[in-house]
Amino acid sequence: MALIELREVTKSYRRDAIEIPVLDHLSITVGEGDFLGLMGPSGSGKSTLLNLLAGIDRPTRGSVRIGDTVISSLSERALAAWRARHVGFIFQLYNLIPVLTAFENVELPLLLTNLSKAQRRDHVLTALGIVGLADREKHYPRQLSGGQEQRVAIARAIVTDPTLLLADEPTGDLDAKSAGEVLTLLQRLNQEFKKTIVMVTHDPHAAERATHLLHLEKGTLVERHEPIDVEQMPAVGLGAGRTS
Amino acid sequence: MKYIGLVLKSVRRSRRRTALTTLSVAIAVFLFASLQAVLDGFDAVAAASSSTRVVTIRSTSMIFPMPSSHVETIRSTPGVQEATWANWFGGIYKDPKNFFGQFAIDPESYLRMYPEVILTPEDKKAFMEDRTGCIVGDGLAKKYSWSLGDRIVIQPGIPIYGSQDFAFTIRGIYKAGSSAVDNQSMMFHWKYADERSSQKGLVGWIVAQVADPDRAAQVAIAIDQRFANSPYETKTDTEKAFSASFGKMLGNLNVLLGSVALAVVITTLFVAGNTMAMAVRERTTEIAVMRTLGFPAATIFALVVGEGLVVAVLGGVIGSVLARLVINAEFLGMAGGFIPAFSVGNRNVAIGLGLSALIGILAAMLPAVMASRLKVVDALRRVA
Repeated sequence: MALIELREVTKSYRRDAIEIPVLDHLSITVGEGDFLGLMGPSGSGKSTLLNLLAGIDRPTRGSVRIGDTVISSLSERALAAWRARHVGFIFQLYNLIPVLTAFENVELPLLLTNLSKAQRRDHVLTALGIVGLADREKHYPRQLSGGQEQRVAIARAIVTDPTLLLADEPTGDLDAKSAGEVLTLLQRLNQEFKKTIVMVTHDPHAAERATHLLHLEKGTLVERHEPIDVEQMPAVGLGAGRTS
Repeated sequence: MKYIGLVLKSVRRSRRRTALTTLSVAIAVFLFASLQAVLDGFDAVAAASSSTRVVTIRSTSMIFPMPSSHVETIRSTPGVQEATWANWFGGIYKDPKNFFGQFAIDPESYLRMYPEVILTPEDKKAFMEDRTGCIVGDGLAKKYSWSLGDRIVIQPGIPIYGSQDFAFTIRGIYKAGSSAVDNQSMMFHWKYADERSSQKGLVGWIVAQVADPDRAAQVAIAIDQRFANSPYETKTDTEKAFSASFGKMLGNLNVLLGSVALAVVITTLFVAGNTMAMAVRERTTEIAVMRTLGFPAATIFALVVGEGLVVAVLGGVIGSVLARLVINAEFLGMAGGFIPAFSVGNRNVAIGLGLSALIGILAAMLPAVMASRLKVVDALRRVA
């Protein structure tokens, strides 16, 4: 069974009396362990699609199922609990809390669990270790580079071991070197830790790291690349690679 | 408890803003506790007043005197055991700003009826035997560094006592045995004042001791009936009501001071509310991120309210402690005469802290609702 299934999803926004369609009868499936790249021009609906998958927005029509849960029919409260358990979100602008240290930022989603302080600490240090920033746990975001901030944000996204990682242009604000490191890290999370990832990107080089690609235009699917041959992809760092 | 760190980090985010908000709450609580202390002072006097004493004044107003012959009439009223009298002297010690109560009394009967005026037997004897002698409260003696045997000169403040200064010798320093008597007053022989008065034989008020406190109201009516249709009709009430009437001479204090306190608290509420709203507005993205991470709306609401609570209660603690240390009549030199002894007690500190908590919760309520109802997608789009 596919991990993600969208059926006839339509999303439109109201601006005064005008209804603006963003997604139009979109149906897609994403398998467990896939690394899906979502591409398309601005306004094509890719971020809206990502928000629907994250459960921070609701479709106007149609259904969104993630795993066994039809999230489009959950209440706000249930949806928040579902997000906390199943979704790790990576933002373009990192969106770390500036008054919290790297450790505290990563610990944030764990505050919603029943873990003890010691257990939370173990989880946070593991996540920071995976992104290569265990030695920066006491640093504040302003004391980190953009690439390091994004890696802390990735640690925050994976610390709860979510079902699904969603990344909204995770390299959009980074230089080429940092972008490469972040993409390598995502690729490692997909290949080594079997994380299902959906990544919105404008960058064709970033899209190359995905195992599957969808191209959206005006809210509809115009191209589907199935699947990308990762053996042909550039070598990755951090000791990552295809594990299957 | 695991969220307290988050709340404290948010509080420390803008230290200047937090400090100013805390200070505004501290000032509000300080003022509230201070004004409440004054009101409590009047209440304490009334509460400590004897239930076996009734006070008779002129029916028109207590500023008008009545003949001393009223004393004997009252003494002979059924149910009355004893009576004494006093006059308000209203003199000036060196400078008008040195205000304190001066009462011309009949020493023997007055001290018998007011055991709360505590004197040593030696001081009492010395006072009784000296026509120009006086007794002063220990608070007043301390304020002016007076001791036994000191001579003090008071300039009359009421025209009937002429313009010539009155000289007194301090023969006793009394302690106040209850709030019904303040330790910031001076008492001297009524005869000394009366012999130099242009209107002889007048008394300001008469205090009667009743045998049965349950019959005090009936005795009061009986006293007034004895002077009905005379040129000097009277109004007799319990000592408690009489004490309260002193406060009323300064206006409706409850309404006046209560209004000031309320205005200060409401203003502070708006200031704190605006600050909280600003703080939350600046953190729209962070709140949206937390919601994306799975923080429920209720938790976001509690975090914002918690932040308001911490800032306001901190201000409340500062304001209450400051009021406790600074506000007391003796320290401020405000006691004496109509102003009873007052200070900020534990109850007022607790009310101040409760009030600050209420300010914190109310000020944070609207921003907290806004934060918890934030549309995550819109908030994230605003920044992206």
